[in-house]
Amino acid sequence: MLFSSVPFLYYFLPAVLLCYFLVPKGLKNTVLLVFSLAFYAWGEPKYVLLMLATIALFYICGLAIGKANTQSLKKLWLLVSVVVGVGLLAVFKYADFFIGSFNAATGLSLPFLRLALPIGISFYTFQCLSYTIDVYRGNVPVQKNPIRFGAYVTLFPQLIAGPIVRYIDVARELENRSHSWENFRYGIRRFLIGLGKKILLADQFALLIKLFRQAPEPSVLFYWMYAIAFMLNIYFDFSGYSDMAIGLGRIFGFHFHENFNYPYLSKSVTEFWRRWHMSLGSWFRDYVYIPMGGNRVSRARWVLNILTVWLLTGLWHGAAWNFVLWGLLFAVLLLIEKWVPALQRLPQLLRHLYVLLLICISFVLFNAETLTQAGADLLGMFGFGGVPLVTWETLYYLRSFAVLLIVGAIGATPVVKRGAERISATAVGAVLEPILLIALLLLCTACLVDGSFSPFLYFRF
Amino acid sequence: MNKKLRNAGIVALLLLWMALTAFLWFSPPKALSVAERRPLQQMPEFSLENLVNGSFMGKFEEYTLDQFPLRDGFRRLKSIFSYNVLQQQDNNGIYVQDGYGGKLEYPLNSVSVSYAQKRFSHIYETYLKDTDSKIYLCVVPDKGYYLAEDNGYPAMDYEKLFADMSAGMPWAQPVDVTQTLEITDYYRTDTHWRQEKLVKVAQRLCDAMGVTPPKEADFTQTLVTQDFYGVYYGQAALPMESEPLYIMESQLLSACRVYNHETGKYGHIYDMEKLAGLDPYDVYLSGPQALLTIENPNATTEKELIVFRDSFGSALTPLLVQGYQRVTLVDTRYIHPTLLSQQLTFDGQDVLFLYSTLILNNSASLK
Repeated sequence: MLFSSVPFLYYFLPAVLLCYFLVPKGLKNTVLLVFSLAFYAWGEPKYVLLMLATIALFYICGLAIGKANTQSLKKLWLLVSVVVGVGLLAVFKYADFFIGSFNAATGLSLPFLRLALPIGISFYTFQCLSYTIDVYRGNVPVQKNPIRFGAYVTLFPQLIAGPIVRYIDVARELENRSHSWENFRYGIRRFLIGLGKKILLADQFALLIKLFRQAPEPSVLFYWMYAIAFMLNIYFDFSGYSDMAIGLGRIFGFHFHENFNYPYLSKSVTEFWRRWHMSLGSWFRDYVYIPMGGNRVSRARWVLNILTVWLLTGLWHGAAWNFVLWGLLFAVLLLIEKWVPALQRLPQLLRHLYVLLLICISFVLFNAETLTQAGADLLGMFGFGGVPLVTWETLYYLRSFAVLLIVGAIGATPVVKRGAERISATAVGAVLEPILLIALLLLCTACLVDGSFSPFLYFRF
Repeated sequence: MNKKLRNAGIVALLLLWMALTAFLWFSPPKALSVAERRPLQQMPEFSLENLVNGSFMGKFEEYTLDQFPLRDGFRRLKSIFSYNVLQQQDNNGIYVQDGYGGKLEYPLNSVSVSYAQKRFSHIYETYLKDTDSKIYLCVVPDKGYYLAEDNGYPAMDYEKLFADMSAGMPWAQPVDVTQTLEITDYYRTDTHWRQEKLVKVAQRLCDAMGVTPPKEADFTQTLVTQDFYGVYYGQAALPMESEPLYIMESQLLSACRVYNHETGKYGHIYDMEKLAGLDPYDVYLSGPQALLTIENPNATTEKELIVFRDSFGSALTPLLVQGYQRVTLVDTRYIHPTLLSQQLTFDGQDVLFLYSTLILNNSASLK
């Protein structure tokens, strides 16, 4: 089920809120578990069983790690959870990619599995892995209550598109959390802001992208409009979803970590990854990079660590070569930034532009259906292949989307947030804020009623 | 104080949300959308099979969108947001220029044009090649021809479309009506042209076909509704004024009978009952019909005309009737050409292929 859908906003959410706040404290996790399973089943009825099996596996492994009285036995159960968890991910997400690549390399024709990708499998598998690893490390106690553990894994606010919530971050709140009008009000506000980002901005950029792909004669200008539109589309789509998840979490008494911090303000690629999808970056840092030795190893090993982490980051986003290259591109860029400190001494504006240009190019690679399309898009951006500089059609869409592009560019900076905070502290702000939130709800509903289905980009990951 | 105001605002938001939810849950479902001229999705049948294969969820989402309270108002709000706030030039591909709604119709779909030519050539080869019929081709420009390019909207290559149609149908004499028409000859809210503005087009065609052309004075312009909202009104969802819809009446047309080959019944040139339907434009020859024959008892000639046409032919054809004893209208979107031999004899009638650029550029529906 999509957050940005009428069934969610006007059926599911009222029903879950009603039940959740009516039942006694001891049943709240059960309500969350039941509704979260229904939420998942709405989009993936068949794969609910897979998710339940994953929950059961990690729950049992957690118990076994907790009960094991030797380190080797603990390690064995951790290994079981990692192998089976990653194995399921490999089968359902990567099997056909590996088979296709193997076939292409060897000339063989092994049959494809052709399994549909279970929605959100990358997110909930990573969450489960964080649980068993942290139990193994002794960072968190074992969760003996299967309802609580099930509620953690299936928690619908962040189930299918993140942020990746580690067990350690919500362990206490799963057992005992408080609910307040302040939390509720904050949650509603945050949710509606996220909904607005998704529907009013991201979906509009998606429309421009669709129009670009349908253009009979794209121009250099149109290629750049597409690239910029996709940068803004993916940012508002994903950060909007994270806002909604954080807002919903707060309504139910959970405090999720922020997932975005104005990444397009970054002055280096390293900084970009500290601001973009922070829950994924920190997950790879804590569960892959540091266990591999991080940067406290030989230079060669460190390079290998960086390449491995970014190869996995690319693959996490999708089972295709463009994602692999996308990840490795960032590995190379990060290494260059480490090895060429002069880059950090460039004027601030130049550093901003350098990051924006590289991120823009990287997302063109990211969004391509195939490597061939990625190549054609990148060549088109730089005028190769006889692409005209501009066409009448491009100018029409530039006129049509100029306001949106400007609003998007401003919205990707803290300008709006800072302005809102300043006004919010005044009496005018106190009146204006709810009016704007009501307007947001009505406008988002209007777009949903008028428009058609528009899935979140991060569902495929 | 600020906190109280803020809390009151959030309570208002929650009340609004609950009200919309309650309306959606408990108001009886509507059957039709008048503005969009389509039936609305009803609550899907619930079964385990539908649930497991996901079809229930898809249809339920459609149901909630279609049955949402104040649906037309919300669609209008979205249009206003697109046009006035985001300054987008079109909404769902519909633009409004100088008060005229138009559809972005581009680029020229050569495959579609070629397909239309093939379908028309099939009719020619099957029924017309070995007759003495004089065959004419009239391509009706859509509003975009007059509205799009001059105002900066993407437009198909109309001249190429006209040239391709003429070249692909060398057995038909092209009749150019582009210079006869102007944007004011079309409805502001609809795709179609206005019958009361078409006498000059009828004259142009009659001149080309060698029959006595009609005169303005032959007709009485009768207002049949002041509140015509065309198809773009519903699609654009913008606040647009309704328009008057006229019919061109004459004693000659009143005496004509229209035979519907599908139903086997006779009717009139103007079907007044259609004015109360979803599309009042159907008043002209009862709207979309596969096969009609207009019988003109007061004809001064024995000539007959067969018009292969789309919906643009409904308003125009009555103005051509006075030059013929019988005029047959064929819409091959609703009847396969192979069935025509059961209903019609092709023996030297004048034949007119009258199609709009909209259909030619999207010709998949032609059989």
